[in-house]
Amino acid sequence: MILDAHGHLGSWPDFLIPDPSAAGMVSLMDRLGIDAIGISHLLAVGPDAEEGNRLAFAAAGRHPGRIGVWQVYNPHQRNRLTGSGVWGVKIHPDVHECRLDDRRYDPVWELGLPVLAHGQTGSPWSDPAQFVTVAGRHPHVPLLLGHAGLWPNGFARAAELAGPYPNLFLEICGSKMTGRWIARLAELIGADRVIYGSDACFLDLRVGFGRVALAPLTDADRTLVQGANLARLLPPDQPAGPARSPEP
Amino acid sequence: MPKSVLDAHRLIGPVPFDDLPRDPGREMDRLGIHHACVTHTLSLYSDVHAGNEALLGLRDPRLVPVPVLLPEAFAPAQDWDVPMVRLCPARHRYELTGPTALRRLADLGAVAAIELDETSPAELVTLTRRLPELRVLLLSPGYRRLRAIGELMAEIPNLWLEIGTVNTQRGVEWLAAHYGAERLVFGTGAPVMDDCGPRFLLDHLELPEADIDLIASGGSLLGQGVLR
Repeated sequence: MILDAHGHLGSWPDFLIPDPSAAGMVSLMDRLGIDAIGISHLLAVGPDAEEGNRLAFAAAGRHPGRIGVWQVYNPHQRNRLTGSGVWGVKIHPDVHECRLDDRRYDPVWELGLPVLAHGQTGSPWSDPAQFVTVAGRHPHVPLLLGHAGLWPNGFARAAELAGPYPNLFLEICGSKMTGRWIARLAELIGADRVIYGSDACFLDLRVGFGRVALAPLTDADRTLVQGANLARLLPPDQPAGPARSPEP
Repeated sequence: MPKSVLDAHRLIGPVPFDDLPRDPGREMDRLGIHHACVTHTLSLYSDVHAGNEALLGLRDPRLVPVPVLLPEAFAPAQDWDVPMVRLCPARHRYELTGPTALRRLADLGAVAAIELDETSPAELVTLTRRLPELRVLLLSPGYRRLRAIGELMAEIPNLWLEIGTVNTQRGVEWLAAHYGAERLVFGTGAPVMDDCGPRFLLDHLELPEADIDLIASGGSLLGQGVLR
């Protein structure tokens, strides 16, 4: 099963996304053999979490089993969260200008669902060191360190910091990631702690997927990265979750 | 699958900030890249002339040398017989539209490859107005500046685009629809930049097969054996 942990729908203000649609996403997934993608709507990541989440659920409803929802929590808007029918919660400390380890995110951790958070080496809001703090506070919450820290000069550090925390996973999308670095991360922290994401439609699904497909990984490690790891973490009520995805 | 794949943007040699393959051959073989335009890393991260000397000494028929042009008014002009040169005006701190650079480019008659981050849209417009015959390959344009890139493509008929970093959803198809697939050139920037994702994208573009073949082989700028 191939699962994409990091997807989006919708537009973003500072650049043109030629195809921000759910239909366009699913047609590419069909072509590439991707079973499901977890998305947050970029409106929710941006200024309106409640409405953006509504749009995300609507897209998931139009594509059942293919699009899962990362519901966005905005600590300023303190929007409602649901405990079922989602892949988990998406937070973006840099856009929200709220540190990942800020207590205003406590409602997120209290849900106990997987959390996908933007991670950015050197950022005052989302440096990988803050993931260590949160992972230690909430050892039963699966936490995906988005972009593995984003910048190549922080990838190895992110792996080193995350290593001792079994609930912390490196999600690998980003415009600076390379196939070589994916293989290195799998070696540094173990392939069972590396999770494929594409950042599509923000980025092109084919580039993110292809980076893993052609990375110098063993077939067994590629299977883990492309979906088996994430399938173990998703809530059992999700079609892509462990109830439907036995161990490889 | 494209019949022939040319990576128009690749490096050879060591870099100071990572442990990357110095020789591109193995990864090119693994990814099905048949030829590559290469610049030596010494020309970017150390001594321009030493890098060019090492590059021009290469005898690998799969690699097309792209030396770095350093337009120094106090030094003699280079008389390279090469199809493409690379310019790094920001890194090497000179004026891309200064008199020496303009003179040297006009004399060489080669394609000028320039990273977007080394220049600006306004400077590129000025450059190509001063040298209307000059053919420019814009390297690493990225995905966040498609609006500015579109304006440049519309404004400068002799501008081609390396697509390795055009990485937003269906961005390459958008460019092909608006400005023509023949003005798009496959490249990666590897090994500093990723080559796996762009190579995979090339095989999965939603374009006619003939367009993909043309992009893969260098577009109308470098395709049809121009470099070989």
